[in-house]
Amino acid sequence: MNMNLIKRGNEGELQLIGYIDASNAAEVEKIIIDVVAQFDTLILDMEKLEYVSSAGLRAFKHAYMDMRQKRGTLMAKNASKMVMEVLEVTGFTRLFKFI
Amino acid sequence: MKNLSVPAKLEYLDEVTDFVFGVLGDCEMKTELQIRLAVEEVFVNISSYAYTPGEGEAEIECGYLTDPRRFCIRFRDSGKPFDPTAKEDADTSEDALLSRVGGLGILLVKKNMDSVRYAYENGKNTLSIEKRI
Repeated sequence: MNMNLIKRGNEGELQLIGYIDASNAAEVEKIIIDVVAQFDTLILDMEKLEYVSSAGLRAFKHAYMDMRQKRGTLMAKNASKMVMEVLEVTGFTRLFKFI
Repeated sequence: MKNLSVPAKLEYLDEVTDFVFGVLGDCEMKTELQIRLAVEEVFVNISSYAYTPGEGEAEIECGYLTDPRRFCIRFRDSGKPFDPTAKEDADTSEDALLSRVGGLGILLVKKNMDSVRYAYENGKNTLSIEKRI
């Protein structure tokens, strides 16, 4: 799992690359939460996110709750078919604005 | 059918996945991801809950079945009797999502596999999941 962060003032874009599974989800969660704290708007670019399991969804949920608490916006884009299906089945599409 | 027995601990997830993929062989990327997801969700559940606060083994048996051709994975543990298929599907409304702790794993298993069956046999939780190939 790799991540790239692009900063545009108050807006950040975090590119997620690879797999988020139970083995690395806690580490990924920590990084995403740290990034959420830095911006009013965060876009998660999921184009290169090949796989996410329910452990990874917990990281997204934590990010959403932190962002909501500070009245920021969490957005997502370019989710692959696999990732989109996981988000849809679990209702997690509700947590993101897709752009 | 091939067998693997490992301690029911999260750090053995990769070993379990590699074992299953070794038996599965070549298949479509989509099928492979669906099976990876189901294996992870089931094994993580066993490692997190079956023996808590103690420790124990998880047995994984897998192979192809015919008519129709399908790939079967069977998980066994000797932990607390627990039928993950007995609960209703998790509520996926926003309020439920934000308040709930678990339940999404088994939902993902059901959605990605063609058959999910539980039995308590010989003192073991036995969860059989199948995917048509």
